Amino acid sequence: MIIQSEDIIIKTIARILVPFIQLYALYVIMHGHYSPGGGFQGGVILGASMVLLYITHGYSEVRSVLTENMAILFSSIGVLIYSGVGLLCLILLGNYLDYSKLSTILHVDPAHARSLGILGVEIGVGLAVMAVMFSIFFDISTGGEDPDEEKKKK
Amino acid sequence: MEVTLLVQAAEDAFKIIENARGQAVDLLNTAAKLTAETRSVEERKITALLRGAEKTRSGIQNFIATFIMLFAFWALLSAKFDTFHLTLGVICSALVATIGHSLIFANVRVGDIRVIVQRFLAYVPWHVYQIILANFHVAYLALSPSMPIDPELMRYRTKLESDISWVTLANSITLTPGTITIDIEEGEFVVHALSKKLADDLNTGEMEDRIAHVFMEADHIYIQDVLDVARIFAALK
Repeated sequence: MIIQSEDIIIKTIARILVPFIQLYALYVIMHGHYSPGGGFQGGVILGASMVLLYITHGYSEVRSVLTENMAILFSSIGVLIYSGVGLLCLILLGNYLDYSKLSTILHVDPAHARSLGILGVEIGVGLAVMAVMFSIFFDISTGGEDPDEEKKKK
Repeated sequence: MEVTLLVQAAEDAFKIIENARGQAVDLLNTAAKLTAETRSVEERKITALLRGAEKTRSGIQNFIATFIMLFAFWALLSAKFDTFHLTLGVICSALVATIGHSLIFANVRVGDIRVIVQRFLAYVPWHVYQIILANFHVAYLALSPSMPIDPELMRYRTKLESDISWVTLANSITLTPGTITIDIEEGEFVVHALSKKLADDLNTGEMEDRIAHVFMEADHIYIQDVLDVARIFAALK
């Protein structure tokens, strides 16, 4: 079980940096098809920001944003978004993940539809990776115990 | 005769005392007026502070300030200003601000963010100048053959109050060559200084005063002034 840090410098700097790290992660996800980056990289940065908040401020601060059950849910939702976009293309008589078929739904030309489709997939991947990263760290740090359940016992 | 003279003398003395008192009251009045003119801005800040002590900053204000900062950061990163990307930026900034608006603005007093930012920007050039001076000093220490260093560990209590000002002071000390903040133990700074001169520079407390000014923690002095004047007035009346 991780005890929160007592160092005022680390706590304060982490507190101020975490929102900017999260925004940078979202930027990496959203601009993955123009510049280096994409869903996996952005998701890892998002997960890292959560881990930083966890090891500096303890579980009490993180619980308001992301619990372990929410992380499991988010990882499933991310995979669902990814496969859902792919299946949508399949339903519209194209190949799996053939985004140009989405143009009939989105009312844009096929090239633009490809861009939007890959963006949707990136968001799904980013969400799943963030949740799984946080979940792995959570399992290692707590040793498999759920802090919420401990509080209920007390 | 003598009695009347005495009485007259006493009356004169009383008159002189009355005059002196009147003059003192006038002086204090003008002083108060002067402070009211020169410190009207400060007094508005004081009232903001006093009100801020009573009520905490609302979540909406925090959210808006965080959102503006994050959106500026997004524009800096993205550099694409078409509608689609700006919309994405607004959505992402709003999302992150919803999660983290209580993080950036914890322990900040009410209604003085802009003043703090202005003063902090004014503090940075002074600090860069101090860094340059200390650089020359450390270079002199390193290059002189006798190497006149005198390392010491200093402990001193700070008069700063909020954690953000502690962190600013600690990082300012560390950024200045020759001095390093080792630890902060509940308001007590543990600082390693390379030579006597650097330790003396730190002990003057100028850096601390400036940071107190930046984060508006020297304002209790002004409040104390107002209270003193009020006490003198009450005594005179």
